[in-house]
Amino acid sequence: MTSDAAITIRDAHKTFKGGVQALRGVSMTVNRGQIFGLLGPNGAGKSTLVKILMTVIHPTLIDGDLLGKPVGHRATLRRVGYLPEHHRFPVYLTAEQLLHYYGGLEGMRRPERRARIGELLDLTGMSAWARKKVGGFSKGMQQRVGLAQALLHDPELILLDEPTDGVDPVGRREIRQLLLHLQSQGRTILVNSHILAELEPICQQVAILVKGKLAREGTVAELTADRQRWEVEIDGPEPTWIDTLKGVDCRTEGTHHCLSIGGDAAPMVQQMIDLARGEGRTVRRVERIGESLEDLFIRSLEESGEADAATPGAASAGKAGK
Amino acid sequence: MTAVLSILHESWLSLRAQGLFKLTMGLNLLVIVAFASIGFTDTGVSMFFGLSHADSEHVNANSPWAKLLYLGIFSAIIVNVWLAWIATGLALLSTSSIFPNFVSQGAVELTLSRPISRTKIFLSKYCGGLLFVVMQVSVFTTGAFLAAGWRVGAWDPAIFLAIPLITLFYSYLFCINVFVGIWTRSTLTALIVTLVFWFSAFSLRTAENLVTRFVYSTEIQMQRDDERIGELMHQIETAHGPAITTFETRLDEQQKSLEANRTAHEKLEAWQGPLQVARWLVPETSGTINLLKRSLEHDASATFEDLMSGELFRESPRRNRNADFEADAKVSDRENARPVWWVLGKSLGFEAVVLAAAIWLFRRKDF
Ligand SMILES: Nc1ncnc2c1ncn2[C@@H]1O[C@H](COP(=O)(O)OP(=O)(O)OP(=O)(O)O)[C@@H](O)[C@H]1O
Ligand SMILES: [Mg+2]
Repeated sequence: MTSDAAITIRDAHKTFKGGVQALRGVSMTVNRGQIFGLLGPNGAGKSTLVKILMTVIHPTLIDGDLLGKPVGHRATLRRVGYLPEHHRFPVYLTAEQLLHYYGGLEGMRRPERRARIGELLDLTGMSAWARKKVGGFSKGMQQRVGLAQALLHDPELILLDEPTDGVDPVGRREIRQLLLHLQSQGRTILVNSHILAELEPICQQVAILVKGKLAREGTVAELTADRQRWEVEIDGPEPTWIDTLKGVDCRTEGTHHCLSIGGDAAPMVQQMIDLARGEGRTVRRVERIGESLEDLFIRSLEESGEADAATPGAASAGKAGK
Repeated sequence: MTAVLSILHESWLSLRAQGLFKLTMGLNLLVIVAFASIGFTDTGVSMFFGLSHADSEHVNANSPWAKLLYLGIFSAIIVNVWLAWIATGLALLSTSSIFPNFVSQGAVELTLSRPISRTKIFLSKYCGGLLFVVMQVSVFTTGAFLAAGWRVGAWDPAIFLAIPLITLFYSYLFCINVFVGIWTRSTLTALIVTLVFWFSAFSLRTAENLVTRFVYSTEIQMQRDDERIGELMHQIETAHGPAITTFETRLDEQQKSLEANRTAHEKLEAWQGPLQVARWLVPETSGTINLLKRSLEHDASATFEDLMSGELFRESPRRNRNADFEADAKVSDRENARPVWWVLGKSLGFEAVVLAAAIWLFRRKDF
């Protein structure tokens, strides 16, 4: 693969003891400098994939590279930051001691750690809590400390498993801005999240996992392009001419109607406006709408071909024969 | 190296945060103060800094046995009861949770995802767990060293052997604890299995010693029967008249006794073999601790047991002592004569095997 890929995965498989097939042949590429969103319903295998990259879980089969080295190469992990989901810190450590501990595990020397810890506690807004025990922190505060430990050793690649879990709206926005800031420094970020509206404005690339298989991969623009449409909102009863226009949908919204048509049918939109105005109706809104990530997500589930795609949990050897 | 030090430092911080660690430390100090409160006067022994006094003609400030008694109290009572059972139990209670907590979901990822191998993480964490005992025993031993120096002038650095020996002893139990902790991720299971193992090792040693003691005692009795039979035969040859019948009845009795002892001996020996083999397989828990007593007494002319049983002050050794008593002495001689390599070697071998299994499990497990 080209050197500008931070992560390449080809044919990742993981079957847990007991036959749970968490990953069933996933291939994807994360380019350097990108913010990459990894989406999927509960139990799709997102965390499993990230844990395989971090050597926490052994893959059944994988052919992949992380920053140019094969997945599992230990020294490379020094260049990767990781925030696990539902992480639990030793409660008796203060935020500062905790960061010293994890910095030490990365092989950072004490003076180096000391300088970085100050910076990161500032960055995550936790400076005032440096000398307090993390056991007494709220969920969102622990998440901030978690982010700090992921960034401590100045990693090129950052893997975040649900980083905004439990963080308040202001904090979420701060985290989004932080991710953009990190990206502007040339770092690559892979984010696992369920909150699609949050990822949409910052991700260049997304992959959607369903039951351990890749349902979609591409840029947000690409994936939503063929689902753009025009919407025209008009007053009055349902127009009679609606049937004469091909491909127009009509839905009633209270006292007015919303007509929608494919994104490439601009001339038809003019026609609809003319017809409506000819009848003396008020045109309330004309808008070109892209598919939201949420729509894409739901559509991917529906189109994935998995019988029970919408129910949580992975496929198992017995159930989804493979 | 930085990573290893970080893990050890973290272990120390976790100990310091533990109530049980402080409690055990407090109890340790209390025991040492009690030990230091024993002193010797011209007429006997004083306890609780002179609050209580026991007169003794044998053990007093002028007697050579004061030192033996004082060090004996340390190695046979304080170490064997307090450190080997109570403090060890407390240590197990508080260290059983180390590995289950460490490998719990959400915590283990934060450590495993670092550029340091799982084997290194495991071994550092293992040593971190032993830190509990090292700290406790170090403080304790220093106190005992000062007390013994002050009270009986025994500035004996051999006391400090307690630190490695007790730590070794503890590590035989801790390796089982860690193995089960990683396997099941359950503190309670790890604790229970360790306790069961501990008592099994203890029972096995006790059973083996007991059977051996009976083997010895039947051997001694058989020997005495033989001698007695020889004497009686001689008496029968030289006797006249009705005395012969008396001797013959006695001879008959003696031969029956010999037969009974021989049967018992055979039965016991059948048990002794398997027990000895089983004992080979488990670590020498008490044997390791006993090394301390052995090294404290190695140049003494008498043992603490001789002193306590009063054997030391008898004019001449009792003749024809009870066979059981002699067998007891023989068993304890056998225990004391076991070479150090046997005691430590097979125990460390056991520990190495268990640790290798634990590392294998830890390396291949998905978290
Ligand atoms: N250590 C493990 N042992 C056995 N099964 C596991 C293990 N970890 C995950 N699984 C199973 O693998 C499947 C995928 O889990 P994973 O955590 O990767 O899902 P996810 O996509 O991250 O879900 P969520 O959005 O809920 O976090 C699940 O069915 C889960 O039960
Ligand atoms: Mg997950």
